[in-house]
Parts: sequence; structure tokens; C-alpha cells
Amino acid sequence: MMEEAASQLERDHVHNVYDKIAPYFNDSRYKAWPKVRQFLLELQPGSIVADIGCGNGKYLHINKDVFKLGCDVCRPLVDFAWSQGHEVQMCDGLHLPYRDSCFDAVLSIAVIHHLSTKERRIRAIKEMARTLRVGGRIMIYVWAMEQKRRKFEKQDIFVPWNPNPQFLPGLNKPRRRTTAQSVSEAIDNTEKHRKVRSTSSVADEEDLGRTTPQQRTHKLWFFSRSLDSVFDFGSLGISRSSSRDMSTLSSPTGENEGNKFNLSGRGRGLIKQVSSFFSPPSVIGSEEDVFVTEQHKGPNNSGGNGTTNNSSAVSLVQECGSLALPDLVSLQGEDLKQSGDERDGGLLGEELQESTQSPQGSEGQVEGSCLRYYHVFREGELAELIANHVEELHVKHTYFDHANWCVVAEKVQVWKI
Amino acid sequence: MKLLTHNMLTSHVKGVTKGYPLLIKATEVKVNEVEFNPQFVSRMIPKLEWGALVQAAEELGHRQDLPGELVQDYEKNEDFLKKVHRVLLEVEVIEGCLQCPESGREFPISKGIPNMLLNEDEV
Repeated sequence: MMEEAASQLERDHVHNVYDKIAPYFNDSRYKAWPKVRQFLLELQPGSIVADIGCGNGKYLHINKDVFKLGCDVCRPLVDFAWSQGHEVQMCDGLHLPYRDSCFDAVLSIAVIHHLSTKERRIRAIKEMARTLRVGGRIMIYVWAMEQKRRKFEKQDIFVPWNPNPQFLPGLNKPRRRTTAQSVSEAIDNTEKHRKVRSTSSVADEEDLGRTTPQQRTHKLWFFSRSLDSVFDFGSLGISRSSSRDMSTLSSPTGENEGNKFNLSGRGRGLIKQVSSFFSPPSVIGSEEDVFVTEQHKGPNNSGGNGTTNNSSAVSLVQECGSLALPDLVSLQGEDLKQSGDERDGGLLGEELQESTQSPQGSEGQVEGSCLRYYHVFREGELAELIANHVEELHVKHTYFDHANWCVVAEKVQVWKI
Repeated sequence: MKLLTHNMLTSHVKGVTKGYPLLIKATEVKVNEVEFNPQFVSRMIPKLEWGALVQAAEELGHRQDLPGELVQDYEKNEDFLKKVHRVLLEVEVIEGCLQCPESGREFPISKGIPNMLLNEDEV
């Protein structure tokens, strides 16, 4: 059941989102992280490298003396990579269609943080290790919980996608696609005069844009419990306090139709609504505006929330996907304390049956309704995961690269008696 | 899909133990010109399942005179390396499918891209 829940979550908040936003990626995701580039350039000529979760294939052109292939679940991205002349396949990281020990090197750049349970992340790493030959190396990049100036409050987050260029005014170079969602944009606002580095100091590979103070209030992170903890019923009792982690939204007035959370046009409308809950950032680098807690609720959210907030929070849940994440529902103030876990789950369950798909809006629909799931990693977490669960890999290097935790590990022979 | 890629691909349907090599049923094959790099080819050869390569080339009707066994001292045999180069990197399957030799399950190849995604009941 956990497995179904995990795959559903990933389908809704990783695969479906990337399918929608793929066209926006291809324009500016053309830069490679230097350390990844270096890893590729240092490979022996005649090596075979696999980029697992290759996206639009931006690493596949590096080093003409090695044979590169890439794979991804996102068809539009894979199609693009193909159009650039790369050998690519569609497949899923938990079931790699490659024989054992056939690769000299493997890349996993900003991929496994999209897997929603620890067990799946381990399985993905093990799958990649399986395809690596003894002595071969894997390089893994994942988003870090610890950013330069702040930490994510929680490790399991939904990050909205917003390609609206208006959110990134005054960029150094004209970009065909911009996003307001990169983690570093939220934190790098003091450095707006710093030259934008071509390789981006962003946790994910999107190019860094400069941000203005107004933009900081437009950042919106949805926190959630990890699926691992959701299914650990013993700990669910504690979840009450985590309700404050979730931002509540009041519905954009007049735009709601029944239960549907209409996010059209609304990228902006929604953001404005939410920003009213944020305290204005008075200090550069202050974190409160991004990590919303109950104390920051604006006037709309005074006690005794009526149905408006209820329905919008519930609608948000529908919007967020059809997975039971109790804390998304549990934001509704006093009601919460009385409801049992089952009721939360049940309530959610009922809502979910009604929503089959995200509301299909017209323009602007992509803006608001794309929430990408990430499990951001604590320092040492990735290396520990490998050390404790993947005996066929030995961690060789671990480092922090911009906003990512990175590990290079080598495949070793494991002898079983 | 080039035959070098095909050499790495295997059926991963649950329960299948002999999923390699995948049988190729091609409806569209292209041959491109790719720059010949003898060192590259020479280093690639030990990583290949030679029998699978020959079988695949045969299935596509592009085997020509590729030997069934690896020749000795191939590193210096430019003639041989050129044949390998052609089969590995120049022949491409654009449309068709890859079939699991054990289960018969077909994985489509479309626009040169094999779709190896499994259905829920196959994992």
C-alpha cells in the first residue's frame, strides 16, 4: 500500500509535472554543473556512461571519447534529448532495463530526491549500482536541506512551478524560460548584484535569476510529512503540531467554482493571496517569509475559519494530488484537534474520489497547478543511506555543491558466502 | 537505438531470468555516418556481449561479414574495427520493437527511442 501511495505521489507530483513543464526546460537547461562535467571528462576513453534521469540530456554531449546513454520517464524531455542526437530510452529508475555491470560510470543528477520514500531511494541507488561494473563510479546529486542561508524546515516538500517571467525581472541575460521556484532564488536575494553563474547556484539545475525583495514573498513552499512517517502510525499522533507547517490559503475570491481550486490566472492571484500570510521580509535573509507558520497568518485567517478556508485547503489537497498526506488536511484550526487520524484520512479519501484529475484550466494552468515533490537531504544523509543500505557501493567523496549534496561512490565486489 | 545501446538492454519483466538479449523486430532502420575512432571501438569491444551483437546485426540484415567470434589481436586490426564500428554505431533502429526472449513482451521503439517502461503488473 505504501508502494502504491509512493508511486501515485510521484506520478502526480513528479512525472505529470515534468511532462507539463518540459517545454520550459529545454530552453535554459543547457548548462552543466562543472563538477559533473569534470567527472565525465575524467573518464577513460571508451567508457560507457549512463545518465539515469537524464532529463533533456544536457550531460550527454560531454566527452566525445565515451559512449553515453540516458534514460528518463518524461517523454517530452527524452524526445528533446533524442533530437539533440543522443541515445536515450524511456524507463524508470526503480527498474532499469540494463544488464548487470555494464556501465563504467553512472550519473544521477537531481533525480532521487523525487522519490517519495526512503526505501524507494535506496532501491534506485541499488539499481544503479547493479548496472555499474566493479570499479566503476556513480555520481549522485540531490537537493540539500541546508542552503546557504537557511534550512528547509522539513525534508519533504512540494515546490510550485512558475515559468512566469514576470517573477524574475532584471535578469542579466535574456532567458527564454525563467522560473521563480529555484531554491536559491529565495535565499540569494542579497546577491542580486553578483554575477549569475552559468552553472547556477540552484539546488536544481535551473539557471539562477536575480530576485528582488518582492519576489521573496512570492515563494511558496508546501511542506508535508514524508510518506515514511505517514505510514508509521505510531508517530502520527505527533503530526498535530506539524499542521502549522502547512500554509493555508484562502480561495481567490470569486474564482472558485465548487470544489475545484481554480488556479488559472491565478498563478499571480494565488501568490498574492499567500503573500498576505507572509510577514514582509524586513531583514535580508530572514527566513520566516518562506517557511510559513501559523503565527504569520494574516487577517484572513483569524480563528473561527469558516468554510472558505476549509474548502480551499481541501481543494488544495485535491490540487496537490490524490495522495493521503494527513497534515495537508490537518490545517483547519480547531477542528483538527478533535479529528482522529482515520477521519483525516477518510475525509481526504472522500475528497480524492471526486478529483480525478487536476482541474484543466486554460492559460496559466501550468503556472499554478504544478507542484513538484522533493525530499531534500540533510548533511550526511545520502552518504549514510549508501553506507548502511548499499554494500556494493563505497562512498569515495562527499561534498556540497551549490545547493546540493553530492556523493561519488565506487562499485565494489561483495562476496556472499 | 544503436546496437551498442541494444547490447546493454535487457528485459526486466518480473520473474524473467533470461531476458537478454532482446530480440529486435525493426520496421525502420537507418544507417548514418559516424566518425571512426579506432581506440574507442577497440576499448568498447571487451564490454560487449559479442554474441548478442552479432545476433542483433543479423536480425537487422546488417551483419555483413562480421565474424561470429572475436578475432585475435583485434586492437590493431583496423579492418575489423571498422566493421565493428559500423554495426555498433552507424546502424540505428528507428521504429520497431524489442522482444523479451522469455516472456515475449514487446517494448516499442519509436522515433529511435525504446520505451522500456513496465506496466504495474509487470513489476
